[in-house]
Amino acid sequence: MISPYDILGVPEQASDADIKQAYLQRVKDNPPDRDPARFRQIQEAFEAIKDQDSRLRHALFAMPHIEFDALLAQAFGQQGASEPMAADDFLKLLSTLSIEKSLAQLTKTPS
Amino acid sequence: MNDIIIGIDLGTTNSEVAIVENGKVTVIADNGHKILPSFVGLDDNGEILVGASARNQYLIYPERTVKSIKRLMGQDTRVTMAGQAYTPQEISAIILKRLKAIAEAYVGRSIAKAVITVPAYFSDAQRQATREAGEIAGLEVVRMINEPTAAALVYGAGQLDAKRMLVYDLGGGTFDVSVVNVQSGVVEVLASHGDNHLGGDDFDQLIVERILAHIRQQFGIEVEPHGKAMARIVRAAEQAKLVLSDEPYATIEEEYLLERQGTPLHLTLELARSEYEDLIADHINATLDATHIALKGAKLIASDIDEIILVGGSTRTPCIRERLFEEFGFEPHGEVDPDLCVAMGAAMQAAMINGEDIGTVLVDVTPYTFGTCAVGYLDGMPYPYQYIPIVHKNSVLPVRKSEAFETFTDNQREVNVRIFQGEDPDALNNVEIGEFLVEGLLDVPAGNIITLTLDLDLNGILHVSAREKASGKEKAITINNAISRFDSGELSSAKQRIDGLFGDSAEQAGRTADSSAVAAARQVIKKAEALFETVSAEDKEDMVDLIETISTCLESDDEAGLKEPVERLNDIIYYLES
Repeated sequence: MISPYDILGVPEQASDADIKQAYLQRVKDNPPDRDPARFRQIQEAFEAIKDQDSRLRHALFAMPHIEFDALLAQAFGQQGASEPMAADDFLKLLSTLSIEKSLAQLTKTPS
Repeated sequence: MNDIIIGIDLGTTNSEVAIVENGKVTVIADNGHKILPSFVGLDDNGEILVGASARNQYLIYPERTVKSIKRLMGQDTRVTMAGQAYTPQEISAIILKRLKAIAEAYVGRSIAKAVITVPAYFSDAQRQATREAGEIAGLEVVRMINEPTAAALVYGAGQLDAKRMLVYDLGGGTFDVSVVNVQSGVVEVLASHGDNHLGGDDFDQLIVERILAHIRQQFGIEVEPHGKAMARIVRAAEQAKLVLSDEPYATIEEEYLLERQGTPLHLTLELARSEYEDLIADHINATLDATHIALKGAKLIASDIDEIILVGGSTRTPCIRERLFEEFGFEPHGEVDPDLCVAMGAAMQAAMINGEDIGTVLVDVTPYTFGTCAVGYLDGMPYPYQYIPIVHKNSVLPVRKSEAFETFTDNQREVNVRIFQGEDPDALNNVEIGEFLVEGLLDVPAGNIITLTLDLDLNGILHVSAREKASGKEKAITINNAISRFDSGELSSAKQRIDGLFGDSAEQAGRTADSSAVAAARQVIKKAEALFETVSAEDKEDMVDLIETISTCLESDDEAGLKEPVERLNDIIYYLES
C-alpha cells in the first residue's frame, strides 16, 4: 500500500497549496472519465492529507503498514538470533518509524 | 477514427445539440435555429412534430401536443398525445431522435453516442429515466453530466488564473446552483444544491393563476375545463413573462378567449413588473437559500466568490440579477448565451471522453447524501429506522463507501436492506430509492457482520452491494434496476413504437425512397405490433426480438439481413391470424 504522499508525489512537509497543486496536476493527467479507479485513488489520497486536520488524522489513525517481519529479519538476520544487531543500530532502525503511527497501530487493533 | 459523440442539453423548454470539431465547439443549427423547443406533437396526418412546429400547434391542438416533459421524468406516469398514452421517456426520446437527426445531417454520418446533461439535483430515478430515453432514441448515453458543471466547463476552459465561480442555473423546470473552483486546467465542483421542480414554468404558472383569478372575478367563469382557452392563457402568461424581462409593464390581451351565452369574452389585463416580482418572490428566495446551502457545503462565504455565471433562460428575469448583485456585490457574467452553454459543455465533455485533449478536466460531486436505516436511536429513544448516511453530499464522483452492520437477533437468516436519499436522522423522512433482501445468512447468534457498500458512479447512479463477512455471500443491485419501470423488453418495444412514428413520417414526406424490402419490413412490424394486445407473453417476446433484429437491419441499411427475420415474423403473424 502506497502512502497518499507518494500517490501525489509530495514530501510530508508540503504545504496545503503544494498538495492541492500536485493533486490538480494528477487529476489533469488522470481524468475521472478515463480511469475511474485511478482517479479515486488520487482523490482519496488528496482527501487524506489536504489540510492540517486531515494530515494529523492520517498520521494518527492510518495504518502505518510497517513490515514487522522484515524489521525482525533485519534486526536478527545478519548473524542469526544468537547475535542480534548492535543496540545503537537497532534504535536507529526504530527511529525511521513514526512513533505515533506505531502507537496508533498498537492501541487500535483491527478486528 | 473514433465514433462521434454529441453533446445534448435536453431541457424543459428548449433543447440543443453541440459537437466539437477541430477543437472548436459548435451548437448545431437546424434551419438556422440553434434552439429546438422541447415540444412534441402529432399533426393532422398523425405525423410527428418536434420543436417550433409542435409549439405552434400547441395553441390550436393542446390535446395532441406535449410540452415540458422533463418535469415528469422519473415518475411512473403517462401523458396523452392524440389519444395515445406515452411514458415521459418516450416523449423525451422523440426530442432526442430529432436532435440526433439534426447532428447527423450536419456531420453526414450516423451517430450513436451522446453525452446528455441533467440537472445536478436530478435524482437517481430521473437520471435513469434520461438514460432510458436515450436508449429508446437509439443513443448510447456514454455519460450524463450535470448542467451547471457543463456550463462551468465552458467558462473554465482556458482560464489561467485560479477562480471560484458560482453557477446559478435556473431553467424552465429545474434550479441548480454549484460552487466551482477553476485552477490549473481542472474544473472542480466543490458543492451543489438545487430544486428539481423549480423553474420558469412555475413563474408562468403563477401568472396563469393571476389571469384565472382575474377572469373569475370579472366574468365569473372557470377556464380550466376549456383546453384551448387554457393553452392560450399559458402561452400569454409566458409571453408576458418575457416582456417583463425588458419592460416595466406587460399587457395580456386575448380576444374571443371564451363564449358566455353566445357572447364572446375578451381578456385584457395589465401586469406590472413589480407585481410579477411579488408573485415569484418566494421562488427567488428559495433559490438564494439554496445558493447559501451550496456555499456552506463548499465551506466558503459570498466574498470568496470571484465570478457568477448565469445559465438557463429564466435568469433573464431582472430581479434575479439584482438579488445576486445585492448578495455578492458584483454583476453576474453572461458572455456565453445562457441557453447554449450547457450543450457546449456537454460537447466538450464528449470530446474529452473520446480522447481529445480539451485542456480542461472536470471533477464533479453528488448533491445528495445516500444511506440506509438500522435499529438505533432517534432523539435519545430506541428507534428501528435510524438513518445511517454512508455517501455524504458533495462527495467527489466516483465514490465508494462501505459500512459494517450486525444482525439484530439470534439465528437471523435474512436482512432487508433499504436505501435512502436525504439527510434527515429519521430514515422514513428521506426518500427511499430502493430495497433488497439478503437471504440465506448463516445460522448464527446476533452480531453476524454484513458489509454494505454504496458505489456512486460518474453518472450519479448508485450501485449497492451487501456482503456477509463470515461466508463471503454477496448480493448486489444497481438502484436504477431496482426501481426502473422499464425492463429491457419494454425498452425495446418502446423503441419500436417511437421508431415507427418516425418511420411513418419519413415515408409520407417522401424523404426516403424505401426499397420494397424495407417497405415490407416496416409493414410487417406494424402488423406485428397491432397484434401485441391479443398474443401470449411468449409469442410477444419472440415478436419483440424479431422486430429488434429487423430494426437493427433497417438502421444499418442491411437489406440482406432483413430477409430471414421478416420471414420468421410473417410466419408468426400468419400462425396467429389463422
